[in-house]
Amino acid sequence: MILDSFKLDGKVAVITGGGRGLGRAMAVRFANCGADIVAAARTVAQLDETAALIAPTGRKCLTVPTDVGDSAAVNALIAAAIAEFGRVDVMINNAGIGEDSFGKPIEAITDAEWHRGIDVNLSSQFFCARAAIPHMVKAGRGKIVNVASGYGLRGGKHNYMYACAKGAVLQLTRSLALTYAENNIQTNCIVPGIFPHNEAMMKFFKGGKFIPIGRPGDDEDVGPLAVFLASEASNHVNGEMIIIDGGGLAGGIVPTGVAPGNPAPAPARDGNG
Amino acid sequence: MADAKMADTKTAEVKTAGAKALPAGLKEFSLAGKSAIVIGAEHPLGRAAAVTLAEAGAKVLLASQEPGTGDRLKEVAKAIQAAGATAVVQVQRAAIRADLSATADLAVSQLGGLDILVTALDAPFYATVEATDDSAYDRVMEDNFKTVWMAFQEIGRVMLQRGGGVIVNISTVMAERGVPNAALYCAAKGAVRNLVRALALEWARRGVRINLLECGWTEEAGSPALEPGDFADKLIRYLPYRRLLKPEEIAGALLYLVSPAAGFVTGEAIAVDGGLLCRV
Repeated sequence: MILDSFKLDGKVAVITGGGRGLGRAMAVRFANCGADIVAAARTVAQLDETAALIAPTGRKCLTVPTDVGDSAAVNALIAAAIAEFGRVDVMINNAGIGEDSFGKPIEAITDAEWHRGIDVNLSSQFFCARAAIPHMVKAGRGKIVNVASGYGLRGGKHNYMYACAKGAVLQLTRSLALTYAENNIQTNCIVPGIFPHNEAMMKFFKGGKFIPIGRPGDDEDVGPLAVFLASEASNHVNGEMIIIDGGGLAGGIVPTGVAPGNPAPAPARDGNG
Repeated sequence: MADAKMADTKTAEVKTAGAKALPAGLKEFSLAGKSAIVIGAEHPLGRAAAVTLAEAGAKVLLASQEPGTGDRLKEVAKAIQAAGATAVVQVQRAAIRADLSATADLAVSQLGGLDILVTALDAPFYATVEATDDSAYDRVMEDNFKTVWMAFQEIGRVMLQRGGGVIVNISTVMAERGVPNAALYCAAKGAVRNLVRALALEWARRGVRINLLECGWTEEAGSPALEPGDFADKLIRYLPYRRLLKPEEIAGALLYLVSPAAGFVTGEAIAVDGGLLCRV
């Protein structure tokens, strides 16, 4: 039955950036679909909160404080997942630093800031894939889901490390997908549009009013897409990037809310989706 | 594709969601209570879509691309009905606007609503550009583009009146790339691809989402990928999975796109191609 193919019963999913935002939403969603979770993030208190949210689902949640920009820490993360569960079925490469890595003019960005932005947003995904894939190859199957961004497809003012790294994440996805197709490992990429996680971001993105569908993304929007890509339901989907952005990237060559000719496009409706 | 020597007319197996409890994390994937139209349900991909929608809980109206396909539609409807779901058959010609309009009305009157449209309209055409005459041009553009355009208009009109809906167009990876001896077919498919982008924006704030599902080379009667010879041999070795897509393998991506699970996705295409579009 088609709905059964989306279930994650008994699967082990490692989720980076699992202490907040999209990562936390995916972790809780996966547990609600039957998966055990390995949540990685830098901040222990945030990981504990994620674990507390997963507890009522009855699934296990192993929390591993990790700096994903450090390959030794990533290797230790995957080793901890293997030690606890014996396998990694799903690798969700979600960790990233957005808000603190753009906004600065180019001449003010130090070498250290450049490397840190690239390491956390891009190298982390390479490190995690490199550590998880041998276990997936051994198991004869696996799912890798990389989280990119609309900035991986379009530029942003004063947006260097984030946009460059996220663009490269799309390419990492494609090369992993082609290489490991014969090992039954599917690698795909989620491309979120505007998902403000706090008041400052909501203000920066003007409440999302320029998003065609009329609202910004909610973390809960991404959960079902991640479930699809982590489940058997997506077994023939590989190397694909799936844009989840309320229509933004389908357009962009005229401002939202205006159109040539008449009548003007309809105004936003509340919470329409 | 709508060709009479279609090999796979075996009875479709349908298992409906019934009263089985869904895990909390999958609730947005259910189509319980929703009404759907599949146009081009005589084709293998249309049939796979109809079966998927019914399994996920939707009531389905099976509409044809071409007349003379009633037996095939009835066979799919019977399988869906046997599993306890609702299926209605409408033999129509998708190139006739009045037929599409009547189909939209029929969904509302027979199924009690109109929430989902899946267009599986397709007529592959392989010929060199210099050998393609104007009558072939008109036919290819009508069967692959104009029918889709009119279906979006006529069914979309009813969706807009009713406050919203979801549309998924089943297409091919040829909507994204060129293939020699298929220029006109690629152009027609590409036209639908960009129509979906623009229409998604036009209807974004009126409650209608619209996306595409792009199939890789598919196991279906009439496909050049199934004709023994140099093309098929080399193609199979070139595919990342070393095999053709089976129509029923679109089920997961289709259900994702038509369900509330994809509520923030519009103007997008999901390729179900095993990674083919990543290849150089």
